[in-house]
Parts: sequence; C-alpha cells; structure tokens
Amino acid sequence: MPPVNTGFVADLGTIYCLNTLRKKNRHTPFNCEGLGRRDFIQTGLGALGGLGITDLLKYQAQAGVKSNDTKCIMIWLDGGPSHYETFDPKPDAPSEIRGEFGSIPTTVPGVHFCDTMPKLAKSFDNFSVVRSIAHNQNNHGAGNHYLMTGSPTPVPVGCGAFVTFHPSFGSVVSRERQAPHGMPAYISAPRISRSGGPNFLGAEHAPFVISDNPDSKNFRVRDVTIPTEIAEGRARSRADLRRSLDNLKRITDQQAEDPAVAFDEYYTRGFDIITSTEAQEAFDISKEDEKVRESYGRNDFGQRLLLARRLTEVGVPFVTVYNGGWDDHRTLFESYKKGKIEKVDTGVAALIQDLANRGSLDNTLVLLLGEFGRTPKINKDAGRDHWSFAMSVLMAGAGIPGGQVVGATDVKGYYANDNVYAPEDFAASLYTKMGIDHQMILRDTAGRPIQLVNNGRLIKEIFA
Amino acid sequence: MKYFLTLWLLCPVLLLADQATVSFNNDVLPILTKAGCSTGSCHAKTDGQNGFALTVFSYDPSADYREIVYNARGRRIFPAAPEHSLLLLKATNEIPHEGEKRFDKDSEFYRTIHQWIKEGAPRSIPDEPVLESLSVSPPEAIYQKNESKSIHITAHYSDGHTRDVTHLAEFQSNEEAFAKVDHHGKVTAGTVPGDGVIIVRYLDKVSSTRVTIPPDQTLPDSAYQNLSQNNEIDRYAQERFKTLGLLPSETCSDSEFIRRATLDVIGRLPEEQAVRTFLKDDSKDKRSRYIDHLLAPENNGAYGDYWATKWGDLLRPNTQRVGVKPVYLLDDWIREKFRTNTSWDLIVSELLTASGSTHQYGPVAVIRDKREPADMAEFISQLFLGVRLNCARCHHHPSEKWGQDDYYSLAAFFSSMKRKGQGISAPISGLPEYWWFQPGGTVQHPVTEVVLTPKAPAGPEFPDIPENRDPREVLVEWMTSPENPFFARAIVNRVWGELFGRGIVHPVDDFRESNPATNEALLDWLASDFAQNGFDQKHLIRTILNSRLYQQSSLPNETNASDLKNFSRSYRRRLPAEVLLDSISHLVRKPESFQGLIPGSTAMQQWNHKMPSDFLDAFGRPDSSAAPPCERDGSSSVVQALHLMNATGLQKKFSGSPWLNELEKKEAGEIVDSIYLGLLSRMPDKAERDIGINYLKREEIKLRESLEDLLWSIINSAEFVHNH
Repeated sequence: MPPVNTGFVADLGTIYCLNTLRKKNRHTPFNCEGLGRRDFIQTGLGALGGLGITDLLKYQAQAGVKSNDTKCIMIWLDGGPSHYETFDPKPDAPSEIRGEFGSIPTTVPGVHFCDTMPKLAKSFDNFSVVRSIAHNQNNHGAGNHYLMTGSPTPVPVGCGAFVTFHPSFGSVVSRERQAPHGMPAYISAPRISRSGGPNFLGAEHAPFVISDNPDSKNFRVRDVTIPTEIAEGRARSRADLRRSLDNLKRITDQQAEDPAVAFDEYYTRGFDIITSTEAQEAFDISKEDEKVRESYGRNDFGQRLLLARRLTEVGVPFVTVYNGGWDDHRTLFESYKKGKIEKVDTGVAALIQDLANRGSLDNTLVLLLGEFGRTPKINKDAGRDHWSFAMSVLMAGAGIPGGQVVGATDVKGYYANDNVYAPEDFAASLYTKMGIDHQMILRDTAGRPIQLVNNGRLIKEIFA
Repeated sequence: MKYFLTLWLLCPVLLLADQATVSFNNDVLPILTKAGCSTGSCHAKTDGQNGFALTVFSYDPSADYREIVYNARGRRIFPAAPEHSLLLLKATNEIPHEGEKRFDKDSEFYRTIHQWIKEGAPRSIPDEPVLESLSVSPPEAIYQKNESKSIHITAHYSDGHTRDVTHLAEFQSNEEAFAKVDHHGKVTAGTVPGDGVIIVRYLDKVSSTRVTIPPDQTLPDSAYQNLSQNNEIDRYAQERFKTLGLLPSETCSDSEFIRRATLDVIGRLPEEQAVRTFLKDDSKDKRSRYIDHLLAPENNGAYGDYWATKWGDLLRPNTQRVGVKPVYLLDDWIREKFRTNTSWDLIVSELLTASGSTHQYGPVAVIRDKREPADMAEFISQLFLGVRLNCARCHHHPSEKWGQDDYYSLAAFFSSMKRKGQGISAPISGLPEYWWFQPGGTVQHPVTEVVLTPKAPAGPEFPDIPENRDPREVLVEWMTSPENPFFARAIVNRVWGELFGRGIVHPVDDFRESNPATNEALLDWLASDFAQNGFDQKHLIRTILNSRLYQQSSLPNETNASDLKNFSRSYRRRLPAEVLLDSISHLVRKPESFQGLIPGSTAMQQWNHKMPSDFLDAFGRPDSSAAPPCERDGSSSVVQALHLMNATGLQKKFSGSPWLNELEKKEAGEIVDSIYLGLLSRMPDKAERDIGINYLKREEIKLRESLEDLLWSIINSAEFVHNH
C-alpha cells in the first residue's frame, strides 16, 4: 500500500488483505498484492505501508514487459517425474515413503538432492529449484495442459487425453517474438508435447517439430536443408527454373489480398533459411566440438539439449525438448536405475554449464519439469502414482539466482506447504522472463477476450 | 472494527429503501459495464480480478449485488460515508487500482454510485421498471466516405418510459473497414463502399444500426447488358453488383474452369486426358455436361471422401475421449452418407436422434462426445442452424439477442437421454457406451433455476411433447420443415463457402442480425430452392457451378480488386492439405502409405487426424486433440514452402515415379505438355514450352534429373498450390 494518511482507509486495506487471505482462490492462500502468507506475517499487520502492489509493479518493471532477447529451453519429462527421486528427497521419512535412493549434499550447505542427481547437485550454483509448485489436476491430460499453457482445462479431461483449450507457452512466444534467418520461433523435439499446440493462435504458431535423432550419424533436420541427393548446383538451377515458370499473375493491389502474394513471401523466407549460414550451422550438430557433445551424453536426449542450445543461440526464442516415460506406476526404482535419470542429470547439468561457459546463460531460461510429482507412499507394484500437490521444478538462467531452493514440502513430502506457487504463477514468471505481458488479453477465434494468464503472480525469488 | 462491520451490513436494510431513487439494475450496473469493470478481461473473468468478481455483461445482477454489497465483509460500500466505499476509492484510483482510474470523482458515474450507496445501496427501488428493448437512431444511414455522425440509443422500459442511454451503451463495429465507432457512439465511415453494422449493447439488450457507404460511381445499365445470366444466382448477384458499382470479372478460361470445378466437387485434379478432351470440345454446353459428370455416380467415391473430410473436421470427436472404434464407425457413416448423396434433412435427423451402442452405430459417437444436453445444444445449433449460442451458456450473447433462456431451452430437447457404460477418455473409452431415450429429464435455467420447456432459438415452445416421445424427434421435425428460417440457409451457406472460399454470411456458422449476409436475396433464393428440391446437396452444387458467378476469373477489373465478400471475382484459395498430397501422389503414381489404412488409401480416406503425417501437419489439419467442430487454417506458411521444396518424402516420390518413367520415353515438348496438363490443367504457352524444352535438353545432365526438376518447379509454383 502507498502511504495513506487517514488511518481509517489503512484499516480498510487491512481487512481487504485478511479477507482475500481466506478466500479459497485456487488452493493457494494469497492476498491481493501477490505476497505469500509468510511475507504477510513478516510484514506484519501494522506495517502495511511496506510491500504491496507498488512492489509488484516494480518487479514487473525490472523483469520485463519490455522487449528482451531471452530464449527458453523447456525440458519436459512427460508422465510426471518423482519429486522424491529428483530434487526433494525425504531421507528421514519412513521407508515406504523414502524409497530406495539416498540423498547427497549439493554445493549449498544444508540442501540435499536425491543421489540420482550427482552432477546437478555439484552444479547447484547455476540454478534454482522450486519445490513448492502444486495444483489439483491429477491426471496426465489435465496436468499437461495446466503446466504447458498455464491454464487449467475448463472441463474435466481424462488421463490419456491430449487436449487443447489454450495456447501453449511456445505458441504464445512464437506470436510475440520472432526468430531471425526465416527460422521458426517455436521448435519442439522429437515431437509436440501434449497440449503444446497453438489452439486459437493458429497453425502458424504450431511448433516446428524436429523428430529425427541428433545422436544418429545421418541426422539432419527435415525440410530446412536441401535433400542430400540434390547437389548444390542442381538446387540452384531448379530454383531458377521455378522462378521462370511461376507465372500465375499476381494481383498486386494490396486490397485484393491475393494469397499468391503471401505465398511469395513465405518462399522468400524459406530460401532465407536454406541459404543462411547461421541457420544451417545451427541445425548441423556435427559442427559441435566432440568433447562438448560427449559432455551432454551421447544419447538422443542429451544431443537434443545440445541442439536446443544451438538453436537458441542463433535466436530461436522457444525450444521444447520432450522426454517421455516418466509415469512410473510400477518398478519406479528399477526404471530410474536403468539410466533415464542419469541421462537427465548429465544432460541438464551439461546444458546449464555449457550455457554458462559460453556466456549465454544470462539470456537463456532453462526449465525442467513434468506435469506433477508422485505419491508419497510407494504402491504395491513398487511404483508411485500421480500426485499434483507437490512437484519440483528446476529453473536456470535469465537472471535466476543459483543455489536457491524456493518453497518446501512437508517433512514427508506430501504437500507443498511453504511458499506455495501455482501453475499460473509459473506461467506468469515464464512470460515475464521472456518479456511478455502475462496479463495481456488475447482474442479467440470467436473474438472473445481471454487473458493470457489468469491471476498469475510472479515467483518473486527468481526475480531477485 | 467489528462495530463498523456490523453497521455496514445492516445499513442496506435499514436505510431509506422506500425513498431510494437510484436503481441497481438500471443505473449502477450499466456504469460498471461502461467503465470496463464487468468485462471479460477484468473483474468478470471466471475468478474475477484480485478477489472482486462480477458477472460478464451483468448477466446475473443478483450475484453482482451480493458481491458488491455483502462479500468482502461489506467493505466495498460504506453508506455512512459513501466516499470511503472501496468501490469508489478503487474506481477513482484513490486507492491504487491495477485497472487504474475508471472515472473521475467529478463525474456523473461517480455521483450516481455515490447516491446509490448513500441511499443504502438497495437491491431495487419501488416500482422499478424493467428494461424491455433498445432502439437506435437512426436505424440505418448513408454515409459519405470518412463522414462521421453520432447515433443515439434509447432504452424502453416496462412502464412505458424511455431514457437516452447513449452515454452508457457500448458500441462495436462488425467490420472496421466500413465503419469505426468510438466510446461515445460517434460513427466514422471508412473509404470502402459497402455495408457495415454497428452493434449497440446496453445491459442484456442488443440492437444495431446499418452504415451504408455508396460507391463513388455506379455503372450504367449497359455495362451489365452483355453479362450472361445462367440462372437465378446471376440475376441476384448482378442486381447487387449494380447497387455497389461493381462490375464482375470476365468468365474464366476452360482450363481454369475444369481445374476449379474438379477440385471443388471431388477434391482432385482433372486427369490429363480429361483436360485434353474438354479443351478440344467446342460444344456450348460442355461446362454443364462436365458438371453433371463430376456429380455422376462414377465419381461417388471421390465425392464422398472429399465432403466427408470436410464434415469429419466438424463432427469427429477426439479418439482419446470417445474411443477409437466409435470414431471409426462415425467416419464410415459420414462417408456413406455423402457417397450416396443422402438428403440433408435425413442426415441431420439420423445424427440428432441416434441411440444405441457406440460400437455398433457411428452417430452415437457424437452424443458420447457432447454428453451434456447443453453441449449438444451448442454443437447442433452452430453446425445445423448457423446460430452460435455458445456465449449464452454463461451470459447473453454480446452481439445478438440470444440469452441463457435460448441456450438451455434448446438443451431441454436433449434432457431425456440415458447412458450406460464406460464414460469418456482413454483407456475407458475403449469400451462401448449405450445411449437411449428415457422420459423424465429436465433442464433448468442456471441462474433462475426455472425448469425450461423445449424450444429452439426463434422457434415455438413445445410444452406438450407426449411423455413417451423422444423430444429430439420434435426438434428435428421443426428443423427440417421447409419453412425453418435457419436450417436450409445454414447448409446452403456452408456449401457456398466451400465453393467460393467465403460464405454469403461469413463466418459460415455465424448468422446474426449484426453479421448480415452480403446478399440476402440470393441466400434466400438458394435456401428455398434447396428445400424445394428435397435438401439435395448435389442439386445445390450443380446450380452453383452452372452460374456465371462461379465461373468468373480470379483476376480483378478496375472496379472490383477490393471486393472481398460480394463475389464479383473468384477468390483464390490454397489447396487443402489432403487435396495437395493426394494430387501429387496420384500424379506421380506413388501412393502415400498411412498408418491404419490399407495400401493405396488416400489422405482423404483417413478417419482421424492422429495418424502421423508431416505433410498434412505442415499444410494444416485440425488439431486431433481439440473438440469439434474444428476449423482449418487455409493460409500459407514458411513450413509449407520448406516442405514442398525439400521434403525427402516428396523427393522419393519423384525418383521412384512410374509416371516420370513413362514421360522419360517421350519427346521433350510432349513431356512439358503432359506436366502442364496434369498439374495445371492447361497447355504451356510458347515461352514456357521453350524454357521447359531447353531445360530438359541441357547437355551432360540426365533427362531424369531435369524432368524431376521441372516437376519440382511446377509443384512449387503458386499456380499449382492454389485453386484460382
């Protein structure tokens, strides 16, 4: 609150805040000014002149809502990785909750990760972990949608569902930001994630999918390079032939909105990509130093992270790296031991370190998450089931402090109970880092106004 | 503090209620709307904004009253000192307000709300009249280009009194190219001749005024004298052109005609031989005969697949939601209906009254998907009546007269359906679900909770449906009667949209007073002709294709380059994904293979969009995860350009093409002719032929390589990719 001299009005403000504290707005007790319960108590009832809306506005002014060149690499572990077996181990919980793995210290005294993540534990100085994201969409279809768009599904959807009701982060970034050299602004590998589509923003903001495996010898990104069997000279001569035979009369009067004129623009951009050295280099992962390739892990996932780094470095603003197979209802520990968590540990630690070494971390936002956490109690099949009440998210780059844990779950890891954030808050923070106003109003195909993120507030610790 | 609270809560009841002068409904709510508080982007979002939630367009005044007067512990209003009410402090930004200042302390809005609070913030005042209608003055007017005029809005109340509410009404233009309107109701005409509509909204009432901008000059009747009139379509179209000062484009060439007609009716390119024969034919009625040929039984398969693909987009549920088998059966059913040219009334009737097992009868998939009566109502009204009711699910339609009454009364026709079985979403949707009619269900108005009598928008009420009669049958009877004001118009307009790239009403399923047809008389005639001819879609298509209007060139003349909606020239369209892919595969005789389909199947035979295809993704098909009805995006993109240029799949088709093997044996000139006829339905001109021949005859380069390049060049040309 700004200074208000009449004590009466200040009292009004007090009630206002108390009231919204009690309002069951989502699951998270928050007041109108975007402060957490703890902040509120710390600030104290008598000190309402302290933090408030003006601070929120200040965060926003500092953090964006202006053009910036931040890119985002979103690493999506589909199915829901366990918070216990990654960033939020509970070594003191009973064994039916604790699980088979132990915990290891990180570079920050007192903070432990699960011992499945030794490399990330060693490089904790490079990133923050939010342990307190929670929501109420406990199945894959709805959980994917919530964390991939920042918006819950308006109707209940089933577990196997692939649904879309709201544009995904990548599609919105594609709408707001451009990539150079004719490149697409939203790329997803090796496939589009569930709910990763553009919805009403239209096909032009769908992700460009790179399905091939960059770890394979013959890897090439489809369509953006001339097929290998076409020699360079031939490519040139057929492009010339095309130009001389493309004779449909164009209607040059702009008012006529001739689609053939738009067609020409896209061909110009297409030729831009094909002929741009920067773009072609970015796609050609074989140009990368062998040591660096090794450091990411010589596997499809690791090399996709490396490709993502190459793409963001030439200016692609949003890249999703999708990794499936995290829905461990059975034999979770065996499944983790077989190497999938090791790939993530190695690849993500290498990516963040590599970005830091190259000086790109400051303008690259790296996010690692799935749609929810896993149940505390290990089930009869030695697996863990869906658990949306607590999940851990890794956030690095774009000015996010290193070595920071945000929020916490209770001692047994059941519920995020300290400094709890919702998917809307995650979305608002992501957009703000990308210089996009999360409160902007979009229009759907029927012309209906839709707010990009509904009641999102920033995860203020990552804007320190 | 407690003392204050108690006092505030009691105030509204105690204070002066019978002397109050300011009405919450008639005075306060309009201010909240006009000031932007109760808009969908602010406090009327689903969860409100910062803890203060109003209903959008004030559709539920009682809820708004509760929110303002009682919720938040009543501190939003403070009758003892109205100026300390949070409602006013926030709106004037005296207390920081994220939405900033909405009005001044020294404004009529402020004084009205201040007075209302001072009077004890009553829910209503004695003998409060009810708003009945709006009138706009003038209801229509002729504007010169760039001319501005103010319009005035009058509210009419139940007690007969009227009031000027111009300062409280909201305004919206349906097309800014024709007319813009500001916050105060000042209308400014654009520079393009034609008609625009200004929509006026005040509380739950909507009205409109029409803005006509006459053409700079009309043409003398003699300009139209030599235009042929092949049927009634041309008569109505040319009358409209005369008023608008538009001269329609020339008739298209035979090549353009055969390519366009074949693509539009059966989604294919005409065969080389068919083009040769057609071009040689010099009889006068060859176009008519060719249209008959396209619609004849020999093309039923192609015709069925092409139109089923369109309707698949509109009807097909997500397989993850209703199951694979139901979707497959539905697809099969749709195909069969178009293959056999079942009359439209029958198709809709079968679809709307379906019951049984989702694993035995295709149409049941639709009700499994749209399982709540309200979902079904919204779906069928948009698809088959052209009325978009979806806004009215939660609030009255912002630019049409429809309200929640209309929405839920239509839903009432579907209230007596029972189901048994596994429900929705994978994996449970893998099992069947059974649906049947069983008397006894009702639908309530969500706000008033009144049980509603089945009634379609602008249709009669059906209070006396016998208990043992499925109300859906009554609805279908009403819909498919030849006098129905929506049914025939909706489908005729949709088919027209497919054939011209734009509906007479556009978007094709958005009929409203505020979105008028560009040629009302023409649409009326088409609809009644369609109904009189047994709702026969092939009859409709035949009639349209035979008109001069359909057979116009896409090149503009001096009068009609800017015409984008009156059909005075043919509008170019990019070929849909499936048509492009099938055309290329068919030409080079290398069929594409599709998951889950037998070898040799075409893209148009796919029964859902989850089957992977880079080509179809690039050129746009509906998101298979979205709820139907789905739209197609017909625009071009860089991804499409890259795919046509570089896709290895296409390159493989060229290198393994039996067609090119055959062409290789021919003489260079013949090769060029065949490629032009096969892809563009025309002969190359002299220059093109020479360029082609020279390219094929290059020294030291294999003929096959040059042949593939020639094919590649034409496939990557605007002339191939577009229907023009």
